[in-house]
Amino acid sequence: MDELVIILVRGVGVGAVFSLVAMSFNVVCNSSGILNFAQGNLLVMGGLCAYLLLPGDPEPIHWLVSLPLSALLVAAFLALQGWITLLPLRSSVEQHSWLITTMAVSVMIGAVILVWQGPFALNVRSPFPNFPLFGTRTPMSYLLAVACAVFWYVVLRWFHSRTQTGLAMSALSQDLDAARAAGIQVRRLQILSFAISGLIVGSSGFVAAPVIKISADSGISYVLNGFIAAVVGGLGNNLGALIGGPLVGVAAMFAAFRFGGQLQNAFSLALLIAVLMLRPQGLFGRMAARRV
Amino acid sequence: MLEVRSLHAGYGRVPVLRDVSLQINPGEILLVLGPNGAGKSTLLRTIAGFIAPSAGEIRLDGQSIAGRSPESLVKRGLRLVLDGHRVFPELTVADNIRLGARSKRDAAQLTDQVLDIFPILREKYRAHARDLSGGQQQMLALGQAFVSRPSVLMCDEPSLGIAQALIPPILNFLRNWASNGTAVLIVEQQIGVALAMADRAMVLERGQVALAGTAASLRLDRRVQEIYLGFGDTDPANVA
Amino acid sequence: MSEAAANLAPAGQVSRPPGIVDRELCLGIAIIAIAILIPSLAGSIYWTYTVLLLGLYVTVAVLQNMLLGDAGQVSFGQGAVFGVAAYTCGIMAGMHGYGFATSLLFGIPAGILVGSLFALPALRVQGYYLGFVTLSAAVVFPELLVAFNDYTNGINGIRVNVPALNRPFFAGITPLCVIVFLLAAGALVLHAWLRRQRLGQRMVIAAASPEAAMTLGFSPGHVRSAAFVIAAVGTAMAGALYVPLVGFVSPSAFHVELSIFFFFSVIVGGQGRLIGPIAGVAVLYLLPNALLVDLVQYRLLGYGAVALLIMLLFPDGIVGTIAKRLGAGRPGAEFGELALAMPNSALATAARPGLAVDIADARKTYGKLAALDGVNLQVRAGSIHGLVGPNGSGKTTLLNAISGFIALDSGRIAALGRDTTSQAAWRTARLGIGRTFQTPRVFDALSIRENIEVAAAGPLQLPEAWTAAKPDQLPHAQRRLLEVLRVVASNAELLLLDEPAAGLSPAERRDFAQLLRTLRDRLGKTIVFVEHDLALVWRVADQITVLDAGRVIADGKPADIVAEKHVRALFTGAADA
Repeated sequence: MDELVIILVRGVGVGAVFSLVAMSFNVVCNSSGILNFAQGNLLVMGGLCAYLLLPGDPEPIHWLVSLPLSALLVAAFLALQGWITLLPLRSSVEQHSWLITTMAVSVMIGAVILVWQGPFALNVRSPFPNFPLFGTRTPMSYLLAVACAVFWYVVLRWFHSRTQTGLAMSALSQDLDAARAAGIQVRRLQILSFAISGLIVGSSGFVAAPVIKISADSGISYVLNGFIAAVVGGLGNNLGALIGGPLVGVAAMFAAFRFGGQLQNAFSLALLIAVLMLRPQGLFGRMAARRV
Repeated sequence: MLEVRSLHAGYGRVPVLRDVSLQINPGEILLVLGPNGAGKSTLLRTIAGFIAPSAGEIRLDGQSIAGRSPESLVKRGLRLVLDGHRVFPELTVADNIRLGARSKRDAAQLTDQVLDIFPILREKYRAHARDLSGGQQQMLALGQAFVSRPSVLMCDEPSLGIAQALIPPILNFLRNWASNGTAVLIVEQQIGVALAMADRAMVLERGQVALAGTAASLRLDRRVQEIYLGFGDTDPANVA
Repeated sequence: MSEAAANLAPAGQVSRPPGIVDRELCLGIAIIAIAILIPSLAGSIYWTYTVLLLGLYVTVAVLQNMLLGDAGQVSFGQGAVFGVAAYTCGIMAGMHGYGFATSLLFGIPAGILVGSLFALPALRVQGYYLGFVTLSAAVVFPELLVAFNDYTNGINGIRVNVPALNRPFFAGITPLCVIVFLLAAGALVLHAWLRRQRLGQRMVIAAASPEAAMTLGFSPGHVRSAAFVIAAVGTAMAGALYVPLVGFVSPSAFHVELSIFFFFSVIVGGQGRLIGPIAGVAVLYLLPNALLVDLVQYRLLGYGAVALLIMLLFPDGIVGTIAKRLGAGRPGAEFGELALAMPNSALATAARPGLAVDIADARKTYGKLAALDGVNLQVRAGSIHGLVGPNGSGKTTLLNAISGFIALDSGRIAALGRDTTSQAAWRTARLGIGRTFQTPRVFDALSIRENIEVAAAGPLQLPEAWTAAKPDQLPHAQRRLLEVLRVVASNAELLLLDEPAAGLSPAERRDFAQLLRTLRDRLGKTIVFVEHDLALVWRVADQITVLDAGRVIADGKPADIVAEKHVRALFTGAADA
């Protein structure tokens, strides 16, 4: 019973981080068709910001000040990355240069962390105490990660349906040519979407810093699980991402408890293949519904 | 005023347009006719900036605009409405129109005008565009272009895939729009209806201008029908 | 113009196209040979080792290039295939005491098995979905090596010595040098050879247009699987040779970075270019190593930075961009215009009595829209049947239904005497049903000749000029004709043509009408065509079916139905109001 509760609570908490990575995928993918492989390492970068900005024994006030700072730092980095990624898409025959450029940036971030901080995982202490939940003591960061996921889901929903910029960004994903014909500034919005995805992963990395692995080689695992969460929910759909993340998180946590942490990713891979084979459009996918 | 001189364009190394010239003045409707595959859509897409011309000049109010992006041309007052009544299906009618406007004030003033002309859009103002019929989507696409106050409007097959009854109101809307000083360029298959309301017309054939003149003269020209239908020597009714 | 006219007859002698890639192939082999020879002869152990390792990487990258550039398959997992082969050999030779030669019998099949498994998701998903699945496999593989440390020795790795392969037999040249050279050069030769074979051309077609593949009577999934298996064989062989070369396997050698490195090499070198992978491997491996030779920990950073810079400076890859610059001033091969070929009676079809197509009550809806709303259609064998109607009336949907691209909601379809209602499109095509598309499926990567030949039942006599010329310079209407020629050359019995005459001049339309008649009268073909040019339809068709909003509103001989009210409305709508 205890084990089950731990699996569920931590699975949902870790899953919320996957949801956030998935949503950050969606924002960029919807506006440009690009899947940013670096998103996992950028989450780690958010965690690294927490490690660098927070003192060893942080007070909540430190936390509150550093949170927006981390989000903005990562967003600025992502805007730059977006600009670079979109550069070769103007002239190249093949439109797949982003596969390389985003992966290259991901590799470089990992390498910089390795050179700078060494190969070992960094620990961040949370200013908030653990809280009791169904009889277990759960780190507050799990709860904060869930809150962060819900917060960004609501904000994105509002942004895409209420603001002129958000509407234009949705229009971009629905019909690129018609959007250009309507005078929507495509390139600017695409870079903005990179920046927004940076706000999302930057804040989530910071919030979840005490419970995620902050190291040079952990980014790829978050990219994969985030992508799997996005696929489970239906790529491009934020509600799907919000629900898909915890599903993947609980499954991974279950695997870790039952078979050991080494098999966590293998379990996620099996889940990905199962979803792609049985329902490639995901739970809430638009792929099938989209006009062709 | 839009002026195109000796335009050549194509996709990759495939040439489509060869030496096309045209001119449209404010308040005028120019109709572009031609069989499928003659290069009509390519012409519009090249002028609108979607395709870079390989040679030739495109001038808007005297300034060269060849090679500029479609987005920037909209700011300069050149607006293309694509074929196939393309609107943003997941957005509401209201948001679709709002996205077309260049300023908040334009949006407020002009939206009302659009809704007065097409009352059905007022009725479905909060509905998603995907739930509209083809004809209603075309009205919406035109409304979205209208609120951007273009000085040159280009419209690719406004009647494509639309119930016959809806075609006259849509073409009338374009006629009135032009009368208020907008230069309008239309590609159309329904040459009967379209020739009646155009001022001038030109026929494209294999990427070249085959015929050009006033709409009235082209209506009487037998060659229009010949080129349009593809056969020089037979009228379908006579064959039978 | 007439010099280019094809005689679509089986040819007695086959003239193979001249070697366009041969120069590139020779250059590639020479580079590999020289790169291995120089350090061996000079006696540099470090450089011999490095060059041989790069030889193995080049082998993998060349096959990845085939997989990506020709077959269009995004795999980020080739490093796992390489690693599985290496590790299996290592386990058998290092932990169980088998000889290295014996361990190959386990290692190579194990690698091939994993590489072939990638083909399974590829049947279902494409593009970056497939990329992520294979990437996940590459991430998971070293984790599994650690998790099952009882069988793999975990992070400690396995040491294997194979002195026989590393003993120089002539001035520093070891047997391994020869084997690695043969493998890498062999991979290049295989790639170049495959491109001239039908399988290689089919890969290109399946990647560019799965529908076209099915129309030509083959399953795109089968071709993709073949590409994965071919790549897996060479990659597994290279992986197995890693063991005698390095003498040690450990999980850290097969991290996901290795797979990413292979993929990067292909793109950085120039996707689809034969020697691109050589340039890619060299630049990505040597540049960071040469520049940062003292700082091993900076290598990862260097290789990410090099990949990023190359993509920004050479968006088409190193070889691709250089070739583009060199070829920029050169005009394409001249060949005049595609003329309508008058097919030879050798392509004739035996007369078939009765109906070529029989459709009963076909229904198909998309959402709320009824594309086919109870359509009945009979096409007599050996006749020309016109389908007309306004845009969106269901004409193309009907062609799609006959050729098997869409499954009907209800109703039955029989074609050429068989029930094809729920048959896969590529199987239907094999019955002898050819098809063209509104947007012609013409492949710019193949020559004009290959575009036709890929469907042909046997060798054809085609103009010399078509051998070198690529169709990327053909205007749209000519591309349509090229597709028609392909269908005719395929010796199909029933031809389904979607707006074949669009964009043709009046004179060409007359020739085209003549071609249709020739196909019917001399070759016994059945033709169903969709066309907007009503005059052409009325001139050439034996029978006409008029569709509107997914229903048949008139059907009969041209003279009989022209008087009907619906049909007159069609004319007046188009010609005069």
